[in-house]
Amino acid sequence: MSDIREIPIISRGRIIRPTEDDVAIYNARGGAQFRSPDPHRHIHDLVMGNPVLLTDLMDTPTRQIIEFLVEVGKRLRLDDNPFFQESFELGLLAGGLSEPILRSVYERLPGMFDGGYLTERVEHTIGSAFLDGWVPREGCEGRHRIRAFGTRQLHITAGNVPVVAATTIIGGALSKSDILIKSPSNDPLTANAIARTMIELDAAHPVTKHVAVAYWKGGDEAMEHQIVRTTRIDKITAWGGMNSVKHIQKFLQPGIDLIALNPKFSISLIGAEALESEAAMDEAATGIAVMSGLMNQTACVNTRMVYVECGDDDESLAKLENLGRRIVAAYKTLPSFFSTPAAAPNSDLEAELEAAAMEEDFYTVIGNTVEGGVVISRFPDRVDFYDQLNNRVVNLVPVADLLDAIKWCDDTTQNVGIYPETLRDRLIDPFSLAGVQQFVPLSGGDAAGVYREFNSNPAGLPHDGIEPARRSVRWVIDHRPAGKPAIETAIAAE
Amino acid sequence: MAEAASATKMVLDPAHPERWPELGFEALYAMSWRYCLEAQTEALRHRFRQMSGSLPAMDKLASKEGITSIDRIEDALPLMFDHRVFKNYPLSLIETRNIPKLHAWLGRLTTHDISGMDLNGLTTIEAWLDRLDEFGMLVTTSSGTTGKLSFVPRSQTEYPAWEASYMQMLHASLGVDPYTDKVETFAPSYRGGHQTALKVPMMFNTFAAGGAEHYHTLYQTHMSADLMSLAGRMQAAEDRGELEKLGLDPALLSARQDMIALAKRRSQDLADWFEALFEGYRGKRVKISGLGGDLLRTAIDGANKGVKPSFAKGSIAFYGGGLKGFKHDLPDWEAYVCEFFGMERLGTSYGMSEVICQSPRCCHGNYHVMPMNIPVLFDADMKPLPREGTQTGRYGFFDLLAQTYWGGFISGDEVTMHWEEDCGCGWKQPYVGPAISRYADKDGGDDKITCAGTAKAYDDFLNFVSEG
Repeated sequence: MSDIREIPIISRGRIIRPTEDDVAIYNARGGAQFRSPDPHRHIHDLVMGNPVLLTDLMDTPTRQIIEFLVEVGKRLRLDDNPFFQESFELGLLAGGLSEPILRSVYERLPGMFDGGYLTERVEHTIGSAFLDGWVPREGCEGRHRIRAFGTRQLHITAGNVPVVAATTIIGGALSKSDILIKSPSNDPLTANAIARTMIELDAAHPVTKHVAVAYWKGGDEAMEHQIVRTTRIDKITAWGGMNSVKHIQKFLQPGIDLIALNPKFSISLIGAEALESEAAMDEAATGIAVMSGLMNQTACVNTRMVYVECGDDDESLAKLENLGRRIVAAYKTLPSFFSTPAAAPNSDLEAELEAAAMEEDFYTVIGNTVEGGVVISRFPDRVDFYDQLNNRVVNLVPVADLLDAIKWCDDTTQNVGIYPETLRDRLIDPFSLAGVQQFVPLSGGDAAGVYREFNSNPAGLPHDGIEPARRSVRWVIDHRPAGKPAIETAIAAE
Repeated sequence: MAEAASATKMVLDPAHPERWPELGFEALYAMSWRYCLEAQTEALRHRFRQMSGSLPAMDKLASKEGITSIDRIEDALPLMFDHRVFKNYPLSLIETRNIPKLHAWLGRLTTHDISGMDLNGLTTIEAWLDRLDEFGMLVTTSSGTTGKLSFVPRSQTEYPAWEASYMQMLHASLGVDPYTDKVETFAPSYRGGHQTALKVPMMFNTFAAGGAEHYHTLYQTHMSADLMSLAGRMQAAEDRGELEKLGLDPALLSARQDMIALAKRRSQDLADWFEALFEGYRGKRVKISGLGGDLLRTAIDGANKGVKPSFAKGSIAFYGGGLKGFKHDLPDWEAYVCEFFGMERLGTSYGMSEVICQSPRCCHGNYHVMPMNIPVLFDADMKPLPREGTQTGRYGFFDLLAQTYWGGFISGDEVTMHWEEDCGCGWKQPYVGPAISRYADKDGGDDKITCAGTAKAYDDFLNFVSEG
């Protein structure tokens, strides 16, 4: 039993370790086991029943919060942070990313704590002025003032990329909120490791004092019934859609705001020009390979379906197959820090591919779930197993007009890769109305360059079609009587 | 029948496994599977030889796996079909009612040449299946939670063995011989349809009841395969206000309206129907045949209302489909149902649409596999588990009664198989214990959360339409 890891509960600056008579043992994915204190006995350590206790954080200027986060970020290094090393090891066992990719994700986490980046993030969302004090509404003679107040938040986080744990902790601090993170079984330790790093740095810091992290099994009614109450939680951010909220749904009631970050998938739209020359075909294939291959297609940003403006006659389909072969070839050239062959075949998807390959009138299959692959529809419809596409396998679908693909788009369609750029203006408005949330470029022809472009988003953009940061605070109005404007200098945090 | 065991090898003619059900379940269960294995292996070899070269779906798999002959059962394992094979057509063929392509696809799954069948004038899946029946096929459909229909390509060739094995299964699980002892039968379902759960009872329960006039159903209509398969698509189109744009047969649209109306009053209809049955058949011997959930719901509602049937001694009930998510807190719901209905016996069986001979449940609660099926259990890596002791794994089988399509199939069920023939009921042959679960349900129990994927909106319409 030496392989059982210990995962303490993090409770607002305190570390609660399991003891002989206070222990719960969980099976993480990948055969790992861990022991925690029994969360049922620590409800009060997890929730904060009195919202006024957020005063300390509200009184801390945003500038100081950012300074603290910057110091935390400096300590999130794999080479000398033992919490991070442990989290990394467990993430390898329990998660779905290969070693070089997970390592590069961890190496990039400190960048999320960069001072300039954090400032940009807060100023382009809530705005520090609104967090740090009352801001008079223009043109109201100072009678109306607005301030953003922190809330008590439960975060049911996704574990496919550890970035989610980091962004959740940052989001809590930058909205001056009290956060409780329920860790996912596929990344049980990253949030925990960041919180412990914060405790080591300053256990009494107001940011540290408003972070709690625990694991309990999703659907543990005894836990969720105790936690999800209007007296204890104001906002719930749930990643993963129905999978994560189906259990707590019955406890939702008016007064608890659900910010649902539903599961998403992404697509790409490829114009007929991509099939017209060798160079265009290679450029499109590289773009598609990057968009489906990054993070080994474990994330919502990865394209799974690729709609190509193309006929379904034999001659056109031969061109589509040619594009498919180039995509599979391009997978092999992707840098290992963002994309690698899979460690093992995906048996369910492999079975789907084999079944599809048996029906050669309908589908052509190139590649596999280890090296990456494509399944080409020989008629204008996506495969019926489109929601299982993973392991760098995409479905190429011929469509007469790219606007036909709108019928497969809705709120679950997050990113749309576009090639060539000349298509963009014609497509973005109708696809936006259909539910799509972001359009990204696939051009360039150089994998590293396309990847850099993908990662060049500035801080504080909308996410999944909403502005979660602005949703996560309480916007309060102070309406004074006419003739008695507030004194401008009375800004609380300064 | 005890002497049958010693004569096993002579009794089980490997060239004609379709004749085995005629031996009767007592004789079949008096034999050890170890005695049957040689005949089963030879029969499997026979089936493979019989179909090679005339069954494109299997030929393709065999050539891919490099299998040209079968000496042992293990040689044939790579040839087992998984659940995808019987629904391995693009869904859009159904949506666009591209019947010629669907027909060509089905043709690759059967040794019958169906290419000469007249497809003129067919606009619905239901009409296509009807015409296939007229042509000599007996295709049954089933649908999973996604609503995509699978088509099991049976035919009149299988019919005699299908009927015989069904009667043996009924006899074994209920203790009543359907050949000699006809019982007035009540089924709270549709009168027919091509769905396995409707087509099979319609074909065989009328016989066991003593004729169509003795087989009573809740509704006299058929369940349409088109509504089953297009429910999700139609609902989505209706949500967009674009139902007309699907270009569906107007008759289908009105059938859908009828189905929605019917689904809304189904629980009331069910209660009324049972009450009429209780009244009209007081003191008479009956057989009730339905979904476990319907029987339990009726028992609970009846008990609450103070309604109590009083059928004659020797009345029986047979259920299938489990409880289908029906919530209750009865530790022994079957005893409750028996007590309420005053039934002596509640029979059931284990099987799936893809197998002809279902395995009846014995008086000790286990499901004994008849030798017409060669059961195989697989571990998580799809390696076969040894045929010894007690093993838990994925259930697969070779159905030797399949004469015109390939009977090797891997199910989605996890079962515990007992190979030592030690069941207290006295029957031999390998048996499946009462705990059976679907792997698909298990996977959902993991609380791994990711941002990727699509929310599978579970369609209410599909839900209640598929209830029947």
